[in-house]
Amino acid sequence: MRMAWFTDRHCFLLAVIFYGLSTLYSVFLWRKGFRRDEWANYFLLAVGVALHTLAMFKRGMTLHSCPVNNLYEATTFLLWALGLACLVYSLMPRFKFLTAFTAPVLFTIGIFALMPSLDVHLSPGAKPEFSGALRSLHAATILQAYGAFGLAAVAAVMFLMQQHDLKFHKLRALLSLLPSMQRLEFIMFRLVAVGFVLLTIGLTAGWQLPRHADKPYFSDSKVLWSTLLWLVYLEALVAYKKFGRTSRRFAIGIIATFIFLLLTFWITNLYSGLHN
Amino acid sequence: MSVVVIGLSHRSAPVELRERFAFTCEKIPAALAALRASGLASECTILSTCNRVEIYAVTSLAADAAFAELKKFLIAHHAYDGALGDEIYSFAEPHSLHHLFKVASGLDSMVIGETEIFGQLKSAYEVALAHQHTGARLNKAFQRAFNVAKHLRTATNIQRGSVSVMSAAVELAEKIFTALSEHEVLVIGAGETSEKTARALQSRGVKKITVTNRSPERAAALATELGARTVPFENWPDEFERIDIAISSTAAPQHILNRATLEPLMKRRKHRPLLLIDIAVPRDIDPAVSELDNVYLYNVDDLQSIADDYLNLRKEEVARCEKIISEKVSALLAANKFSANAAHTKD
Repeated sequence: MRMAWFTDRHCFLLAVIFYGLSTLYSVFLWRKGFRRDEWANYFLLAVGVALHTLAMFKRGMTLHSCPVNNLYEATTFLLWALGLACLVYSLMPRFKFLTAFTAPVLFTIGIFALMPSLDVHLSPGAKPEFSGALRSLHAATILQAYGAFGLAAVAAVMFLMQQHDLKFHKLRALLSLLPSMQRLEFIMFRLVAVGFVLLTIGLTAGWQLPRHADKPYFSDSKVLWSTLLWLVYLEALVAYKKFGRTSRRFAIGIIATFIFLLLTFWITNLYSGLHN
Repeated sequence: MSVVVIGLSHRSAPVELRERFAFTCEKIPAALAALRASGLASECTILSTCNRVEIYAVTSLAADAAFAELKKFLIAHHAYDGALGDEIYSFAEPHSLHHLFKVASGLDSMVIGETEIFGQLKSAYEVALAHQHTGARLNKAFQRAFNVAKHLRTATNIQRGSVSVMSAAVELAEKIFTALSEHEVLVIGAGETSEKTARALQSRGVKKITVTNRSPERAAALATELGARTVPFENWPDEFERIDIAISSTAAPQHILNRATLEPLMKRRKHRPLLLIDIAVPRDIDPAVSELDNVYLYNVDDLQSIADDYLNLRKEEVARCEKIISEKVSALLAANKFSANAAHTKD
């Protein structure tokens, strides 16, 4: 029997419920001081990501293209990249608690993505104005870059928490099964670097896309916003690597930039001529 | 037949008495043979460490009679003629097994949860086993005790954390740096605690140790001990570009490192994390340096506080461990009873 009523949005709703459960469990883990090495939270998040993947697959099969055509799809793609990267990185030694820090982000943005007004459907039978591999590459790499920046921000939160605990001699710093400061710093930098490379590829691919003559590339709000982000992350990387910016400032910077990204992502989308 | 234990430990007897009743390694096989030859025990093991002397025996005698005879054996074997009060304790089943499990798990040790006793108990058992002084009852009891100790180690926090200043310093270093083998240590002042801390770090594989001291002779002596190099005392700030951990324990009356000195050094280090362990009293390092980014300063009180917190954590775990031990003892006794019934039915 076909479950026609069970749409990709139902599937995503279920994924968000699992992200919510993972968030609740994360609060419990936080209250316990991240002391126990366990897989329960990883499992909850993995189920959420699996359902999330299914939701995107269903949507992609319906559209016969990469599901990045409206704000709902773009947001879910970003979250999916973040969730998947988190699951991969959590397999590294002492990184299991990355799930506890990522789950609240996935849950909060997941709730936001579920707002019906974000999921604007094309008219029946209509196709996106521009499609093809380059467009998919453009959208997918940029959203994956945001996912990497998101995970870097999560690692930065872990870094600042550990740094605070070690600075102020809290026993939690020793009792918790979190990675060493140096390792967190390395992961944070690597994720920002990966995100930056992906963003560069995505922006370059976007530049190559066909567009209307009356819509210049660099006067579009979304393009300007993305270029601004690109510059901010470039400045962070260069200042950190070449000019001795402290790891604390670097961490605060990437958290602040990712918060800015989340808060302004949808506004720039709405005002973008090229993306509507 | 039941397992009984008699002995004295750091809880019941002073060190003078414990050393009086201690068995040297070479004499244990003979003592075990004598114990069995007396008909007092069909199986026996002697555990003799600096903190305890205990005889575990399987006997057919009633508990009180067995305790009296074993006490006589202990006194006679060591030709002890002094007075004895409550220093010697004794337990019959199930308390004897409970005690054995507690000893194996480090719950009865001076430092709760320490692991050295596990190895000592294992050696004591292996000596008895090698000389064929153990049988089904003691084999099962000791094997079960080792299993319980391993289980408690993984299932509880009884052995978690550092309970000494030195090991707390090492644990801190491992929370800051990913691999100690890539980092260098500077020891400022050739005191005993700094030597021990440096040794603890060395045991975890630090890359290189540099020693500096006002007296170059003492610096050289410590450097030889540690396999380290020395630098003149006036040049130690130059080392800060390379090292990542500094242990300071000079007798200087005022701070030898303050924020104004460290700030430019941190810039030269490109803000790499720096762990400063100040074990000097009065303190060598101005507490204001901890306001600098990537500087982690711990003085002797901070380290002692970590060690105390860990010890309290272990104490909190004792009740949980005792519960698990009681369950395991009951399971062992039930298994023994089942075996005895099966043997009886077969007969």
